[in-house]
Amino acid sequence: MSKNKVIPYQMVLDSIASTRELVERILPKGEIESLKMGARCIEDVVRESIEMANKGAPVIGHHFAFQREYLYCFDCVPVCIEGTSYLLSALLPDGVERYYDLMANWGHPFHTCSSQKGAMGMTLDHLFEFDAIITPTAPCDNTYASYPFFQYENVPLVLPDIPFLHEEKSYKYYGEQIKLGLEQLGKIIGQEPNYEKMKKHIQIENKIFPVQLELLDLRKAIPCPVENIFNAISAGVAVFASGTEQKLKFYEDYLEIAKQRYNKKQYYGKEEKIRSIWPYMLIFFDLSLCEWLNREIGMNILFDIFNYNFYEQIDTSKDLNTMFTDMAKRGMNYPMMKESTDFYYPFIENCVQMAKEYAADCFIFTSHIGCKQFGSVPQILREALRDEVGIPMLLIDLDVGDKRFTSMKIIRDKLKIFAETLM
Amino acid sequence: MNLQNDAFLKIADTISNDYIKNTGKKVAGYYCTYIPEELLDAANLYPYRIRATGNEDTDLADTYMVRFTCSFVRSSLNLAIEGVYDFLDSLFICNSCDHSRRMFELYDIVVFKRNNVSKNIPRFYISIPHIISPEGFLWLHDEIKELKKKMEHSFDITITDESLENSISLYNQNRELLRQIYKLRELDKPKITGSDALRIMMANSSVPKDIANIELKRILKFLETREPINIGKKKRILLLGSIVDNMEFMNLVENSGAIIISDNLCFGNRTIIDDVKSEPSKSPLERITERLYYKLSCPRVMDDHERRFKFVKQEINRARIDGVILQRINNCDLHGCDNNFISKELKKLDIPVYNFDRENFQSDTTRLKTRLEAFIEMMN
Ligand code: SF4
Ligand code: SF4
Repeated sequence: MSKNKVIPYQMVLDSIASTRELVERILPKGEIESLKMGARCIEDVVRESIEMANKGAPVIGHHFAFQREYLYCFDCVPVCIEGTSYLLSALLPDGVERYYDLMANWGHPFHTCSSQKGAMGMTLDHLFEFDAIITPTAPCDNTYASYPFFQYENVPLVLPDIPFLHEEKSYKYYGEQIKLGLEQLGKIIGQEPNYEKMKKHIQIENKIFPVQLELLDLRKAIPCPVENIFNAISAGVAVFASGTEQKLKFYEDYLEIAKQRYNKKQYYGKEEKIRSIWPYMLIFFDLSLCEWLNREIGMNILFDIFNYNFYEQIDTSKDLNTMFTDMAKRGMNYPMMKESTDFYYPFIENCVQMAKEYAADCFIFTSHIGCKQFGSVPQILREALRDEVGIPMLLIDLDVGDKRFTSMKIIRDKLKIFAETLM
Repeated sequence: MNLQNDAFLKIADTISNDYIKNTGKKVAGYYCTYIPEELLDAANLYPYRIRATGNEDTDLADTYMVRFTCSFVRSSLNLAIEGVYDFLDSLFICNSCDHSRRMFELYDIVVFKRNNVSKNIPRFYISIPHIISPEGFLWLHDEIKELKKKMEHSFDITITDESLENSISLYNQNRELLRQIYKLRELDKPKITGSDALRIMMANSSVPKDIANIELKRILKFLETREPINIGKKKRILLLGSIVDNMEFMNLVENSGAIIISDNLCFGNRTIIDDVKSEPSKSPLERITERLYYKLSCPRVMDDHERRFKFVKQEINRARIDGVILQRINNCDLHGCDNNFISKELKKLDIPVYNFDRENFQSDTTRLKTRLEAFIEMMN
């Protein structure tokens, strides 16, 4: 057996398995089902990854915005940089602050995105040993600024370039960049890309798409049949299990639960008092917030950024170049990529429209210290929501992965006071 | 002649200047060295580099940009909301960094739609690749061709190859004059300080280049014949990092026992060391693209650190540098990370280096001065 190059994955596996076991033991059926199901799905995929890595398959780090299923053209272990940082920040009792601090001591600026800093610190600590890393040149300055760290640590870096603006020529350019990137990656790890194999995994994602849409539609119901924590779990499933049958099963099974609740007009918490939209991210370092909002405050999170933008299916029946253009479209329309490779007019319009369609009472904007490209959006959005929908928006400055920046106590207090003004 | 009170240098001290009203040209504001100025000039526009000079607080801008964005960009926005940039007739933005690229929307939604002001100026955007590759070059070339078409359409003009060639030679001459001035800063006994050199660069970015070139020739003549500055035991510094557009910061460094001899800054070498080449087989736009794409980069270009560091090492040898100052405006991820690499690499080479963060308007000067003095003292 070769050396364990993905120790943080073992940490994910251990912590998520124990969390699931605990939840399954103490909570009756029907309670936080998404956590139980999502944990099972992630456990499965992570266990497979560890086994493959132990057998010597190359470990390829990827940005969450580079779709995991595209890496199935290789026999490799895809490791999501951002996903690992944030899932461990949620699961480990002390979070991953230790790794942020390692990076800070190394001289890395404190104001960069913690989603990358966590996995970077784990690499510095020799817990991860990547054979290569692939990241698009998006969505943010942190990506351009932080990823060269890996190269500094002698990990080959592959950089498919993404242009700004959603135009046909952008999709074509990025599609070619994905193809070139995969070819370059293949040379590094000594494998030919097998696009037929990749297609199969893309087809699984295609099957997930209508399920996601159906689920999104169910959320229009009052009360909303989807529990808050589903948003966080589905983001985790998306980055850890994209392109797998396990992910498809997770969505299909959860859809059944949501449908049952919908038919019974059942809310997950005590009573749905406030319907909120979180147009950006949830807070990852303490997911119990989701439960607290459902149960104590009666605030439903209709969706966060990972749960309202879904990209179209990729046509796998056409020629390779067309498929790569479709893959680029999907990539550029992925949550966070979509908003950061475009002006923010469509984002604002979309928010206003969602507020109306989903009968939202308010917006909660988590202004994450890493996301400078979103640093000039909140006030414009707040004004649009006020003028066009007549609803307020709460802005919370924080680091979604580092509890020391704004503590959970402060966050809860802000949410509580805000909720009181709405009731 | 006294540089301190020179009318041309004084243009750097304020945002507005007399040429804005008097040239009759439409003023085109831009933020970044990746904007193809020659193309703007060939369209008979007056390219004006947006600065934040003189701004001391960001209260107005803070409403629209959260506190962890760059205080240079926030300061420039603050000035714009105060109406200081109402003279702009058009705006050119590119995806330089996450902070400045959003000015495309903010000028539209906030600056030019504020109380009693409703102005709809043409705004143009170009998307610059984040890596250097043959495909990236073709992409940028295409973007610049499209930009030309959009400008022609918007201003109802035709931009001819001849006017582009004229603008290229005007800008090449401008850069050559500035390089000559920069050379006088690198002498063993320099004839100009880093602060004055920056003032010249800033003034140069705020006036049309035909006028600038006349002024630069005059200043160059004066500098060539003037006595060297007595720098005593001052340490020769290479200054790198975030944008510097204020004298307070430069003076702080130069009053701490140092003289800034060279740089890789936006208002510095990054603008002037590369020229548009003259290759008859290539179109003017292709050559303009080549300069932009392959010029001395900033950390927004993700795979070009090696070339930037090579420049640093060359400058240290060429300009006989004693130490390197790396600074970043707080929250600037790009320079923050790149500076860290440079700092580590310089330390390995035993080159004195000081790496710190600051705000665009530095209110806490005493602490910074003490730290700078300690660094300079250490070099003795
Ligand atoms: S877009 Fe924001 S959350 Fe995503 S990687 Fe960049 S800084 Fe982090
Ligand atoms: S200092 Fe950094 S954040 Fe500020 S404008 Fe320059 S590159 Fe952007």
